[in-house]
Amino acid sequence: MTVTRPPHDPELDAALEVMLESLPAGTMNAETAAAMRDADGAQLPGLDPEDLAALGVISRDVVIPVADGAELAGTIFSRADHTGTGPGIYHVHGGGMVTGHRLLGVQQTLPWIVEHDAVVLTVDYRLAPEHPDPYPVEDSYAGLVWMAEHAADLGVDPDRMIIVGASAGGGIAAGTALLARDRSGPRLAGQVLICPMIDDRDATASAAQVTERTTWTRDSNRYGWSSLLGDRVGTEDVSIYAAPARATDLSGLPPTYIDCGSAEVFRDEDVAYALGLWEAGVDAELHVWAGGFHGFEMLAPHAAVSQASLAARDSWVARTIGDR
Amino acid sequence: MRDLLGKLTALDPEASETLKVVGYFDALTSRGAGLGSLLRAAAALAGCPAVAEVDGRVTAYDPAGRRLAEAADRPRGSVVAFRSGAVWLVREGSPHANDAMITDRLGVAVEGLASQHSATREIEVVVDAERAVAERRTALVRLGIDLGASVRVILSDDDPGARWTKTAPVPTPLGVLHTTLEVRPGGVAAADHAWDGHSRVGIGTWTRADSAPDSWEAALVAHRLLGEGPGTVLDAADLGSMLILARAYDPTSPHPDVTALESLDAVTAEILRELVDADSLRAAAARLAMHHSTLQARHESITTRLGYDPRTTVGRLRYMSAEFLRRLGG
Repeated sequence: MTVTRPPHDPELDAALEVMLESLPAGTMNAETAAAMRDADGAQLPGLDPEDLAALGVISRDVVIPVADGAELAGTIFSRADHTGTGPGIYHVHGGGMVTGHRLLGVQQTLPWIVEHDAVVLTVDYRLAPEHPDPYPVEDSYAGLVWMAEHAADLGVDPDRMIIVGASAGGGIAAGTALLARDRSGPRLAGQVLICPMIDDRDATASAAQVTERTTWTRDSNRYGWSSLLGDRVGTEDVSIYAAPARATDLSGLPPTYIDCGSAEVFRDEDVAYALGLWEAGVDAELHVWAGGFHGFEMLAPHAAVSQASLAARDSWVARTIGDR
Repeated sequence: MRDLLGKLTALDPEASETLKVVGYFDALTSRGAGLGSLLRAAAALAGCPAVAEVDGRVTAYDPAGRRLAEAADRPRGSVVAFRSGAVWLVREGSPHANDAMITDRLGVAVEGLASQHSATREIEVVVDAERAVAERRTALVRLGIDLGASVRVILSDDDPGARWTKTAPVPTPLGVLHTTLEVRPGGVAAADHAWDGHSRVGIGTWTRADSAPDSWEAALVAHRLLGEGPGTVLDAADLGSMLILARAYDPTSPHPDVTALESLDAVTAEILRELVDADSLRAAAARLAMHHSTLQARHESITTRLGYDPRTTVGRLRYMSAEFLRRLGG
């Protein structure tokens, strides 16, 4: 039985139609995941060096050692004229747990670098299914710890560090924040969870509604979670760090920004996470954008509803790490 | 800033850029996108601001989707002019390969939008049976209505409001009425209760778009039958076969049966109605609070006056037809 989902915003839907014609398939599976990775992420909109130069932003690559002996590639972005200390932004890329690279989605932090003189670190965590849970979230946490430990060298104020991620990156960011809380790790000043993927249980109304003609279907979601968790998916044997929606105690987390679209798989788990944070006495700001599919503001940033979404997010970041 | 067209091309290098631009504007237009959406799309595709001037009003957006306050003085590239205005890109330096194609499609879409607002002439033509079919078809194309689409004409006293785009005040034998074309491209029609709250709405029958005058005629019949009553809606489809009778009737040369009804005073007209409706003369007399023998006398004089007995089967039908046509002549 098909369940009616809220309609797409017409301006977004027109952009989606054109995009769906260009993309290989709207569904993530082993085949499309492999195809996207072979291209080294280059077929997805990456970071344009001209954009960086025009904004006065510079970047340098770093290598981050992990406890098991592996090394993670990372990139640091800052204003060319950065001096002293500024806010720190730890970015976690998306890609359904199975694809993506550290430059994917980092564009959205560029205005915050310019506006607030922030320093950004983004890291290549190891991907499922070759590196299933807990690799992605543990790698991500290792990157955050590295950033806090090197705060002085990086020109970062350790009391003004936030974590940001979209989609799977939002889920890993939420898990990383839970790890930081439970291990008394870096004290985050905020977490920005953009349409985060946080629930492996596949039991929400929004998951049942969003099955086709979209950017992230229920089937894609099942594939992503199965790749991360294997046979454990949907069972009792899944940690709150892998699937933060399973956390029953959200107290002690930093102020949180959550946004999503009304027509995406993650809508209900994202709304529930905000409710849980409020219940635990954590400050959270939640925006559910009408007619938005998954990642609408990244796919069609020029649309009116995307403009509203980006402005709201920028505003929260300014209130959290900007000069007050 | 990388433009959207470049990104689309990177995603799918085999599809032509023309197809993507055309596809995007078609997708926007078919979803009823407004001027802002069209300009944001053009700017995003081109990677530079896009501007429209319609009826002297300038509107501009940059590629990030932000509205620009001042764009009239900046360089104009790949200008496309049309009847009510023009569109262009604010391109510094020489135009890019796809600029002309983008403004071409933007121009078509914006002109379509502009003509929706000034569709009066086209709507007049589409519902006018005196026009040649070819002329009506041209007007339909201008309105963006598929010739084979199902349409119906709706005549209302009031402006139907913003949800109806193909509407205009058009002269009719009943005076100027708001004439609205409702298009059903295979989808679902708006419910008739969408018209609740409007005074006097005559809804025509569904027909092929290039036969819209048939629907207009039916809507006119429905509107006529509403008379002077307050706030009512009548769908011609509910008239059934009476619609055939109504269509054949010319109120300017009324049938003698109709003239005969019109000449009756109010009391006689009421007596006649009761004579037709009541099961028996006795029942009619009771309803009218008249003596049975008095009513019998009135019955005889009415029969003489009309030239037929309204209490026979044929006489009832004849009366009802004449009364129906009398109300049409209203």
